[in-house]
Amino acid sequence: MSTKEQRERIELLQGTLDLLILRTLLLGPRHGHAIAKAIEFNSEDVLQVEQGSLYPALHRLIKRGWISVEEGTSENNRRAKFYRLTPKGRRQLALETRKWDKLARAIARILRPA
Amino acid sequence: MKQRKRMLEELDADIREHIERETQDNIERGMSPEEARYAAMRKFGNVMRVKEETRRVWSFVWLEQLFEDIRFGLRLLRKNPGFTAVAMLTLALGIGANTAVFSLVYAVLLRPLPFKDPSSLIVLNETTPKVGTVSVSYPNFLDWRSQSHAFSQMAAVHSVDFNLGGVDQPENISGDAVSPNFLSMMGVRPILGRDFGASEEKAGTAPVALLSYSLWQSRFGGDSSALGKMITLDGRGFTIVGVLPANYRAPDWTDVLLPIGVWTTNNSKQAMERGDRGDMVVLGRLAPGVTFARARAEMEGIAARLAKNYPSSNDRFGVALHPLRDSFVGDMKSPILVLFGAVLFVLLIACANVANLFLVRGAGRTKEVALRMALGASSGRIICQMLIESFVLSLLGGVLGVGLAIAGNRALAQLISADMLSGATVELNGAVLLFVAGVVILAAFIFGLTPAMHSTKPDVQSELKEGGRTASGDAAQNRLRGALAIAEISLALILLVGAGLMMKSLSRLLQVDPGFRPDRVLKMGMDLRTQQYSKDPAVLNFWQQVLDRVRVLPGVETAAVGTVIPLADDHSRSDVTIEGMALPTPGNYPHPDVHVVSPEYLTTLGIPLLRGRSFTEEDNENALLAGVISAMVARRFFPNEDPIGKRFMFGHPSATNPPKWYTIVGVVGDTKLYGLANPARLEVYVPYRQKPTKAMGLLVKSGADPAALTSAIREAVHSIDKDQPIFAIVTMKELVSDSVATRRMTLVLLGLFSGLALLLGAIGIYGVISYSVAQRTHEIGIRMALGAPRGDVFRLVLGQGLKLAGIGIAIGIVAAFGLARLMSSLLYGVSAADFETFAGVAILLVLVALLACYIPARRAMRVDPIVALRYE
Repeated sequence: MSTKEQRERIELLQGTLDLLILRTLLLGPRHGHAIAKAIEFNSEDVLQVEQGSLYPALHRLIKRGWISVEEGTSENNRRAKFYRLTPKGRRQLALETRKWDKLARAIARILRPA
Repeated sequence: MKQRKRMLEELDADIREHIERETQDNIERGMSPEEARYAAMRKFGNVMRVKEETRRVWSFVWLEQLFEDIRFGLRLLRKNPGFTAVAMLTLALGIGANTAVFSLVYAVLLRPLPFKDPSSLIVLNETTPKVGTVSVSYPNFLDWRSQSHAFSQMAAVHSVDFNLGGVDQPENISGDAVSPNFLSMMGVRPILGRDFGASEEKAGTAPVALLSYSLWQSRFGGDSSALGKMITLDGRGFTIVGVLPANYRAPDWTDVLLPIGVWTTNNSKQAMERGDRGDMVVLGRLAPGVTFARARAEMEGIAARLAKNYPSSNDRFGVALHPLRDSFVGDMKSPILVLFGAVLFVLLIACANVANLFLVRGAGRTKEVALRMALGASSGRIICQMLIESFVLSLLGGVLGVGLAIAGNRALAQLISADMLSGATVELNGAVLLFVAGVVILAAFIFGLTPAMHSTKPDVQSELKEGGRTASGDAAQNRLRGALAIAEISLALILLVGAGLMMKSLSRLLQVDPGFRPDRVLKMGMDLRTQQYSKDPAVLNFWQQVLDRVRVLPGVETAAVGTVIPLADDHSRSDVTIEGMALPTPGNYPHPDVHVVSPEYLTTLGIPLLRGRSFTEEDNENALLAGVISAMVARRFFPNEDPIGKRFMFGHPSATNPPKWYTIVGVVGDTKLYGLANPARLEVYVPYRQKPTKAMGLLVKSGADPAALTSAIREAVHSIDKDQPIFAIVTMKELVSDSVATRRMTLVLLGLFSGLALLLGAIGIYGVISYSVAQRTHEIGIRMALGAPRGDVFRLVLGQGLKLAGIGIAIGIVAAFGLARLMSSLLYGVSAADFETFAGVAILLVLVALLACYIPARRAMRVDPIVALRYE
């Protein structure tokens, strides 16, 4: 059972989670649980994030000034922390996306030579 | 930082909320609340770890890890109190010795001198091949100053002693007459009053003085009203114009400073005489951008020109330049560097010992390390953790070592007189503590790195297996431990050779015949400086009365007065002309030390009469001038004839110096005037009544302890003149002993350190051998079960130890052969490659190694094969 799971789901590379969070927040501020859900949903459940690992990543991004945090209330009137992409984070996302594309193309060329 | 605090405080709530949302989602998907909660928790992962990791995002990871490691290290050290105590004590000895010796190094070689930009301050002297370095004459100084460009400033410093009067206890104090620019050139400012002014260089200037801080304190209680008051020096009044800083020293002790103009006023003849080199040195400050070499070249040119222009006074006289620092260091430099090298070796040996302990303990910890590596710790992490453990240990050793050094410095102060240090104090200060910190870190690396690297090598799988011990790992470790033991033996040998050479030098030196008998002789100095002794008869009368009254004191055998007392650092030399000799150039006249003595001088000091007669009471001012020469004068100038009846005069014969011939009446043995290691010099003796002299030493030979006579002699002298100071009271035995003080200090410390090295080395070899015996119990058991005699086992173990010792001794001998040459300036009468010393030390080390192996070898011999084999 567990072997099947391992085959279908990909573990995240170091730093990739940061990139995914930034990309998610590009669509607007969200709270922590919503970010996790969005990543799972958008990757069609291929990327299985251990949800807890979101928090060190969020704190890391705050420390770097790529996202900011604000208090707010969620859809069902509960207290929540909303994370928002900063202009600095936006630039970083663009940079990282370009890097990622380049890497992905390079790996694809190696794995599937024309 | 504020953000960090808030984010972390709210983290718990955030996580709780997250899990609740997920639970809610799950419930909506149709799970039971319990199920939903469980699934949410599982999806979230380990909450503790998440929190830990989040906290780590904000923290200085390494710092927290460091504290963690330190706590871990301390726990381990507490768990092995035996190991900790031995390792800590070993390190404390090594670090303590280093701390104490470095305090000495700092005080003598490194401490900043209390002057402005001291590195550009240069001391200048004249030189002559006859004597070496000599004082400068005032006219030569004036020419140097006007002709040189390499120096921005130059100042003359003439040392003068004074009888301090107007006080209850007459006292002899030392002073310097200096060019008025001297203090400003040195960058020293009086703490009270004024510096000298340029006009005070000229003769005829008013008598003024600057007081030393301590004289100001003792005479005026540190009261600023001292300014403008008078102080009586040699019976003359001097106006006090200022007070020197407390730390002033240049480099000798000075009680008063006066402008050189005062000195030239009172010593006009000496100040004008180019050939009169009294007691003057010159200090100069190099002009900006001028190198020492260029200054020396320029000064040599000037000296050569002066020698040519004034041959009668300057023929063959040159100039010597030294950095001011040299004057403060004296002859301490090489002994201190040798000792510093020695303690570094001791530290290395201590480190090797502790490394060995770590290796032994590391062997017991391989499983722990393997387990941690299996759990994912990187080897770098483990090495780092082990190094921190070493560091904690080293720090503990360092703290204990500083404690030892405090006690050690007190002992050092006993061993090293203040004179040897030119005012420096051996103490723990910021610089020394900084050094200790460096040593602690360095030591931790030296003894910690090898065992740490070693412990991460074993291959995890085999270590974790049952019995887990790989033969190859053990072999590598044993090689390493053997190498450490070898290194310890080599280092100990080098130190022992050094100590052995010093010991042999000192014993050779103390066997040197000084040419006189120092036993039971007391020496004290007197200088008749006041007005009442301006005429010769008064001087003669004083000395005669002193001799008459001292001679009859109970316990006195003989009493005499004389100048240039051996080893007392007196000197009074003069060119002499021997009647009938071919007159040499002015620089090539014989230049003996001149002893002005009373009749009993030679018997009091036990200087043997070789020929003719010694002086009697009849050799007085009315008699024919008489002289006694030393054996060396006789050999050099009367090689094939009897010197008795020949005549000599002082100075060079000329129209202004009509001959006053002294007839030679006797020949006496040579004496070691300037140190037992130094060659004898030319000496002549003349009767004090025929050459009245104000500054003389009183020598009293007693039937018992001469020092007990001191107060009686003092009373006798003060009954003649109550204002006459008596100073430099010392037994001749003490003078002999003081003359080898530096060497003795070096020997004592080097002996101590090499003893320590020997002990640590022995412990090291003992540790290696006994560990190896313990490891080989099984093998030894098999050998014995197969019928090996116990004697063979004993020899096997002993042989293993001797092999290590032998290699260590061989390496040590080669290294000592090279290193001992560095200390050849400290040696006397023994070569740096002295066979006896090397052989003796090697034998000593073999014996110590045998002793260290004996106990483990006995243990090996007693191994019971049955028990050893069952041990598996």
